Amino acid sequence: MSDDRRPVDERFEPYEPRRRVPLPVYWIAIALAIWGTLTLWRDAHAGFIAGRQRGDEAAADTRRAAAPGADLFLARCSSCHQPDGSGIAGAVPPLAGSPLVKADPSVVVRILLRGIDGPITVAGQHFDGHMPSFASVLDDDQLARIATYVRARFGDNASAVSPSDVAAARAWAAGHPGPWRGGDEIRAALMPLLEPQPAYVASLIAAPDPSILALVQHGTGGGWSCASCHGDLGEGHGDAPRIAGLSSPYLLAQLRAFAGGARTSDAMAPVATSLADAQKIALASYYSQLATPSASVPALQGALDRGEALALDGDSAKGIPACFSCHGSSGFGVAPAFPPIAAQQPAYTAGRLAGFARQAKQGSHALMPSVAARLDDADRRAIADYLATLPPVPTGTAPPAEQH
Amino acid sequence: MLTLGLFVVISFVVSLAALAALIWAISSDQFSFSQRQARIIFEPDEEGQLDDPTISPRNGRSTHGNIEPTKFDLLRSSIDASTARPVSVLIGSAVLWLVIGSAFGLIASLKLHLPDWLDTQAWLTFGRVRTLHLTLVIYGWLSMAGIGIAMWVTPRIFQAPLQSPTLAIWGTIFWNIGLVAGVIAIACGWSDGEEWLEIPWQIDGLLAIGGALCAVPLIRTAFTRNVEHIYVSGWYYLAALCWFPALFVIANIPGIFVGAEQATVNWWFAHNVLGLWLTPLGLGAAYYFIPKIIGKPVYSYALSLLGFWALALFYSQVGIHHLIGGPVPTWVVTLSIVQSVMMFVPVIAVAINQHVVVARNMWAFRASIPLRFISLGAIMYTAASFEGSLEALRSVNTVTHFTQFTVGHAHLGAYGFTSFVFFGCLYYMLPRITGRDWPLPSLIAAHFWLVVGGFSIYFVALTIGGWLQGEAMLDATRPFSASVILLKPFLEGRSVGGALMTLGHLLFAANVIAMFARGRHPASAEGSVA
Repeated sequence: MSDDRRPVDERFEPYEPRRRVPLPVYWIAIALAIWGTLTLWRDAHAGFIAGRQRGDEAAADTRRAAAPGADLFLARCSSCHQPDGSGIAGAVPPLAGSPLVKADPSVVVRILLRGIDGPITVAGQHFDGHMPSFASVLDDDQLARIATYVRARFGDNASAVSPSDVAAARAWAAGHPGPWRGGDEIRAALMPLLEPQPAYVASLIAAPDPSILALVQHGTGGGWSCASCHGDLGEGHGDAPRIAGLSSPYLLAQLRAFAGGARTSDAMAPVATSLADAQKIALASYYSQLATPSASVPALQGALDRGEALALDGDSAKGIPACFSCHGSSGFGVAPAFPPIAAQQPAYTAGRLAGFARQAKQGSHALMPSVAARLDDADRRAIADYLATLPPVPTGTAPPAEQH
Repeated sequence: MLTLGLFVVISFVVSLAALAALIWAISSDQFSFSQRQARIIFEPDEEGQLDDPTISPRNGRSTHGNIEPTKFDLLRSSIDASTARPVSVLIGSAVLWLVIGSAFGLIASLKLHLPDWLDTQAWLTFGRVRTLHLTLVIYGWLSMAGIGIAMWVTPRIFQAPLQSPTLAIWGTIFWNIGLVAGVIAIACGWSDGEEWLEIPWQIDGLLAIGGALCAVPLIRTAFTRNVEHIYVSGWYYLAALCWFPALFVIANIPGIFVGAEQATVNWWFAHNVLGLWLTPLGLGAAYYFIPKIIGKPVYSYALSLLGFWALALFYSQVGIHHLIGGPVPTWVVTLSIVQSVMMFVPVIAVAINQHVVVARNMWAFRASIPLRFISLGAIMYTAASFEGSLEALRSVNTVTHFTQFTVGHAHLGAYGFTSFVFFGCLYYMLPRITGRDWPLPSLIAAHFWLVVGGFSIYFVALTIGGWLQGEAMLDATRPFSASVILLKPFLEGRSVGGALMTLGHLLFAANVIAMFARGRHPASAEGSVA
């Protein structure tokens, strides 16, 4: 205790002498103030321009949407026939300028009610696709509005189609079940003056087995159902890819790969393992025949023009071949090795490309890994978003290799 | 759009105009006061002596012999006597919470690489242990130590005894009850569910009352001060006493803010706790003790002004940079980024003011461990602030957000800066409060080297690991698990560093307990009568 010492010997209390602020401090403050002002101005300006663009787009949308039937057209028709009605060369007939649209209102209504399955020639172009029937999903009033809208916008005909016209056509269609058998039947039944149409050949599409439908909706005891991730019609959602319209051998190969571990997926491995091989074959066949409209929309902020360039032409500077050079024109696939990529869910496409790039890093020299390794993140998003804007592969047009 | 754009412009331009006015006022000497006023509290030949009570004649390192007490020493004695009891209670509580809070921090750190450890009790799961750590060290250790130091320093720079010290003791009791209740609530799973605001708002009232009871004596002391000019530490302390209650009460009012608004208010509060509460507490202490120990003044009054007012102008809106990429208006985030970067101005001013005096007196830095603590803390304030301004930039934030990098940064500020400064202050203050030397002086150096070594490992591990983690998460060609796996050695390094820091805190606590156990020196207690 003796060495305790009372601290009374403080000699100093702090104070602040009057010295000037060093000049560099002022320079830094001024430089930062200028930077801050510019940053805020640039941000506000970008926000202002974006706001004006949003306003313009919203106004245009409002104008279009204000027309009766416009909402239905967008929801039901535009994913295939395109919002401007131009169709897809080689895949979906155009509405704009189509003689079918310009003809008597009953033609449009009856096509809407029955759908088309078979080859058709429109304005000199040949198509061989599948249009669904809307008889069960839309009522008379809705069909009347769509027909009115389509005829007014693409057929230059302002006369309205009334629900009673649709009701009459529906009564007629009850006596003519199934889709129109191509342009041939339409020409014979409704429009004798239509240009010559190709002959109809009976379709190979078979009605699905009820046990397969149960599998799709409810799954096996040991796994999820197909529909819980891929949607009721195989349209896909987010990371779960669109599988409708993919070729049967491709789908079967993937299911077997998931089950065997050759392709890894925490979600698909237990499902594929729980399926018997016969079920795999049946499911692959079922989904290959589904003509589901695209549910994919760009969602990754990818640059669509860059995506289009990569898909059509590739990027020779980076050694990236065009997607379509293998996956077929319009990305509709070349069975059995190259699956359709058009209308695929963008999150799936980007994730799959990243997965291929990972395989390349792990030493794989296979085709897709070596291509994907040259794509950076922005390119992956650009391709994925661009492909999502494309219409899906029309079923029934796949090359003969698939038909077995 | 015009309204929002206008708001951005007004909010930032007002700050810039104020900064310009301040610079003009400083350069044209509008804040003129005579040098005699500034120096009124010391005598002409008192400068330039090392003042470090941890160096006692016993270990033969005394730098000055026995000197006859002057009238200033008597005045100081009566001031110190008025603050001794409340400050002792505050510091005792703070050190207790430091030890408990560090233990929870260490448990949380270990759990990140030993996930199956201690997983049978709900209150020992990671989510709660981590929250308990944060709550205990922020509201227990840092806040109470900071208030205690402020309560000891403020009467000294006002040259007036502390008014109504009993209120402050009651305030400490309320604050402790609120903290214990809040900690138990969090351990039981009852929380407000917002980071930094986890203590249920029903309990927050106790903390608010406790804080108010601690603030009143200091404000009353300010009114009875015997000096005309208020030293820079006083500005920070008085401002913090105004800012924190406003922040704490507004952020805790239930039911006003929901959804994205709530997140915005949450981060406005959480960042301001650092910048407008812990920062002024730490800077106020550093501004007093660095020159005090060295015996030389800080660099410049003009820099003090610039540093204080630029903090006041720019800090309040920086928190929203935590929501970059979040669902809040872009202009709010951009404004926050700009304000964050503008923080370079006050930080540079404070850095010059404090570091120059240390750099010119490196002999003192080598001789005094309290000064080493405080000065290193001040250096880490500069580093943490620079790093924070850069992290607010979108390009950097893209990598560091949601990674351990941010955790390393938070500890650079809350530990490297404030805790280091407070350690040094307490080593200086307690001998003055008790009138006794440190009972276990060899532990002081051990404490210093343990926390310096431990924190270096901690910070380097998290900074490198966090950056690599961010790069891995951004690379879509690597699975998410890669970002987790690569982090493991860095997390283990963090636990090693954290264990060293906790060990240092135990040595510190042992010293404090041994000191308090011996009670106040009779001669020192006598001083309170004078």
